[in-house]
Amino acid sequence: MSDNESKPLTELLAEASITLDASATGRDDAIRQAGAGLLAVGAIDAGYIDAMIDRENSVSTFMGEGVAIPHGTLAAKDSVKSDALSMVKFPDGVDWDGNDVRIAFGIAAKGNGHIALLSQLATVLMDPEKAEALRDATTVEQVYALLESEDE
Amino acid sequence: MAERTVTVASSVGLHARPASLFAQAAAKAGVPVQLTSAAGKSVNAASILGVLSLGIGHGDEVTLSAEGDGSDAALDSLAELLGTDLDKE
Repeated sequence: MSDNESKPLTELLAEASITLDASATGRDDAIRQAGAGLLAVGAIDAGYIDAMIDRENSVSTFMGEGVAIPHGTLAAKDSVKSDALSMVKFPDGVDWDGNDVRIAFGIAAKGNGHIALLSQLATVLMDPEKAEALRDATTVEQVYALLESEDE
Repeated sequence: MAERTVTVASSVGLHARPASLFAQAAAKAGVPVQLTSAAGKSVNAASILGVLSLGIGHGDEVTLSAEGDGSDAALDSLAELLGTDLDKE
């Protein structure tokens, strides 16, 4: 899978794209906040955020462990300027089509970048202790340390 | 032990949408199904996180395996799913 290589998660996730104490009125609001985190670092055009909601209406991006990974549709790839990740944490949770979501990772990826990116993120979340620590993180340093533990 | 080796047809690989459709189908298969990447890493096929962690791209080969009654039928239908472009919208 050498053609699907991606930068480490910690490089894709800018500090400006992390919000650790957010609240949202619902799923779509949470997706817009995750999209805003990508927009803030110039990784996407604003139109990508609507595509993130379109995608969610098609199939949920809820992954388990209180985490959802909203991202745009294939048709919106042109709205992606660079591969990036955003992280919005909702300490009180968000009702995500019946699932309780504590973290939304917004994903912007060109080409096949998403495969390696999702693989890295899923590998961190498969460890229940790391997933819990990520849900409980209160500083960006904690977030980076947890995501870094999978970088090679 | 029943096994099927399949080439993943989804044009963008087994990522969020195809991975979640596949994991949902595996969860309903009636028997525990293992998904193994060409690199030899095995996960529970019913776990979205597990499936995503394998980082499977378009055209990658994967192996499905299961044991017990109904394994063959379950693997046939899951293999068919992987051989379909799940990302068509």
